[in-house]
Amino acid sequence: MNTRLSYDIIGLTLFAGVILFGVPALFSYDGFELNTFSRYLSLAIVSMALALSWGTAGLLNLGQAATFGMGSYAMAMHLKLKASGDGLPDFMGWNNVETLPLIWGPFQSLTFTLLAGLLIPAAVGGLIAIFMFRARIAGVFVAIITLAFLVAFQLLVIEQQGLTGGQNGLTGLAQLVLFGWKIDIYSVSFYYMVGGCLVAALIFGLYLTHSKFGLVLRAIREDAERTRYFGYNVANYQTVIFCISAGLAGWAGMLYALVLEFASPTYMSVSFSLAIVIWCAVGGRESVLAAAVGAILVNLAEGRLSDVFVEGWHMILGVMFLVVVMFMPRGIYGLLVDAGRVLRRKPASTKEALPFDTPLNPKQES
Amino acid sequence: MDVVFNQAFAGLSIASILLIIALGLAIIYGTMGVINLAHGEFVMLGAYATWALQTYAGLGVVTALPLVFVAVAAVGWIIEKVIVQRLYTRPLDTILATWGIGIILQQAVRLGVGADSRFVSGPHWLSGNIEIGALVMSNYRLFVIAFSIMVLGATWLLMTRTEFGMKLRAVIQNRGISECYGIEAKNVYSVTFAYGAGLAGIAGALITPLFSTIPTMGTGLVVDAFLVVIVGGLGSLMGTAAAALLIGEVTALFSIVINDTLGRIAVLAGIILLIRFRPRGLFPSDIRH
Repeated sequence: MNTRLSYDIIGLTLFAGVILFGVPALFSYDGFELNTFSRYLSLAIVSMALALSWGTAGLLNLGQAATFGMGSYAMAMHLKLKASGDGLPDFMGWNNVETLPLIWGPFQSLTFTLLAGLLIPAAVGGLIAIFMFRARIAGVFVAIITLAFLVAFQLLVIEQQGLTGGQNGLTGLAQLVLFGWKIDIYSVSFYYMVGGCLVAALIFGLYLTHSKFGLVLRAIREDAERTRYFGYNVANYQTVIFCISAGLAGWAGMLYALVLEFASPTYMSVSFSLAIVIWCAVGGRESVLAAAVGAILVNLAEGRLSDVFVEGWHMILGVMFLVVVMFMPRGIYGLLVDAGRVLRRKPASTKEALPFDTPLNPKQES
Repeated sequence: MDVVFNQAFAGLSIASILLIIALGLAIIYGTMGVINLAHGEFVMLGAYATWALQTYAGLGVVTALPLVFVAVAAVGWIIEKVIVQRLYTRPLDTILATWGIGIILQQAVRLGVGADSRFVSGPHWLSGNIEIGALVMSNYRLFVIAFSIMVLGATWLLMTRTEFGMKLRAVIQNRGISECYGIEAKNVYSVTFAYGAGLAGIAGALITPLFSTIPTMGTGLVVDAFLVVIVGGLGSLMGTAAAALLIGEVTALFSIVINDTLGRIAVLAGIILLIRFRPRGLFPSDIRH
C-alpha cells in the first residue's frame, strides 16, 4: 500500500463520516434540510464521474450533462408512468399522442428503469468514445465533439414533445417504490440512500484510479503516443473510462430526478454541463474525492449566497471559476498537496508537478 | 420553388452574420489556439453598445459601427492582457477561463442594463425590400451580406498585405523564431485578440435590428460560430467563409425539408461526422505546425 492510497483511504473515511454522520447531526435530522443536501450529493456523483474521464484520462467531456439527463429522464419516465396509473401520461394527451410510445413501455418495470438509467448513458458514451478515439481525436476536439453532441441532444429532447414533454420536461411524478419501500424524499433514510450511492461511487472511483487501469489512463493523459508505443490500446482504455463516466453520470441523473421530482431539458443545457466542469475544477480534477467535495462546496455556496446576492451570484461564480483556472489549476486538492509538501519540508519538484492538460499534439490531428 | 429561393436568401443572411462572428474566432483560434467561449459575449456587448449609442447619443446602427468596433476591441484587449495571456500554454484551460469571462460579462450587463430585451431600430434608408418575382429580399439583410464580404476582404488584406499581417503569419508559423527576428509575439497576440473581439462587436451591432438584444444572446451564437471555424479549417480565412456559407445554407434549406430544430440537429450531426473524419476542416491551410 503506497502513501497516496493510504491518504485517499483516510480522506474517503473522513468524507464518508462527515456525510453519513456529521451532516445529518448538523441539520438535527431535519428531512427538509437534508433533502437540499441530498441534491448536492447527487451532483457530487456527476462531478466525480467527470473527474474520472477528465482528471484521470485527460478527456474533457463537455457533454457530461447529456448522459446525466438521460439518467434523469429514465427515472422520471418510470415515475410518470406510475403516476398516470393505467392512463397515458398527461402531456401526451396535450400533444395528441394516442397510444403509449414504444420506448416508454419497458419503463413500467423498475428493474428495467434502473438498468436503463445506468446502461443507456454508458452505451451512448461508449459509442461516442469509439467514434472519437478510434480516429485518435484528442485534446480540444474531444471537447468540441461532446459539446456539439450535447447541443444536438438537448434540441432533440425539446423537439420530441410527445415523447419527452418538450420544454416543460416531465413533472407530476409518483413516489418511487423500491422493493416495497415507498421513498419519501424528505426522510432521513432517503438522504442515507443518496449518501450511500455517493460513497459507493467514490470507493469504485478510487479503486479505478489506484488500479493498473488508472495508471495506464494517467500515462495516456501525459502522452498518448508514447503509451501507444508501449503496446497499450489507447482507444480501448479511453472508451472504457468514457463508458464508466457516462454510466455514473446517468446514475447521478436518476438520483437528481428523484430529489427534484421532475426532469427537465435544462439538465442538458450547455451551462449546466460547464457548471459540472466548474465543480470538478474547483475541487481538483485529479482526485475523484476532491471533485465530489468541489461539487458540494460550490453548490452549498450557491444555495447560501444566492439568497443574499440574488443577482450577483453568477458574477461570484464566474470570478471564482476564473481564479481557480488561472491561479490554482489543480483546485483545492492541488493546494492541499502543495501544503502537505511544505509541511514535510520537501521542495516542490518540477518532475512531480503534472502538466495541466494534454498538449494539442499536431501529430494526432491529421 | 419560391420557397427554396427565399430560404436560400435567408441562409445567405444567416451565413453573413455567422461569417463576421466566426472570422474573429477563427483569427483568435488560428493564431493562438485559444477557444474563446466569451466570443458570444463580445457579440452581446456590441449589441448593447449599439443600443446605448442609439438611445443616448441618437446614432444609427451604421454610424455606430466604428465606435462599437473600437469599444469592444478595447474590452478584448484588456481581457487578453489580464487573463488570456497567462493561459497560452494551456489550450484546454482557455475554454474554461473564457467561459468564466463570459459569465462575468453577461452578469455585468444584466446588473448594469437589466435583463429585459432592448430594441434597436434599423437604419431608415435601408428599410424597404427588393422584390424579384416572388423572391423578397430585405435591404438591411442585403446590406449585412455586403458588409460581411467587405469585412472578409479587409481581414484578408490585413493578413496578407500589411506589416502586421506578415508578423502575425510569422508568429503563427513559428513563435520562437519570429521572436528571434524581433517580433513582439505578445503584442501581436494582444492586437489579434482585440481585432477578433472588435469583429464580434460589429456582428453584434449588425444583428441588433434582427434579433432581440438580451444578455444571453451570445451563448447560442458562439457554438455555431465555433463549429464554422472547425469546419472551415484552422487558420484559413476563405475556409471560414466557405464554411459559414455552407452551414447557413444547409441550415436554411434543411428547415424546408424537415423543421427548424431537426434541421439544426442534422447540421450538428454532420459537423460531428466532419470533425471525426477531417479534423483539420474542409479547407485546411498549408501552414506546418
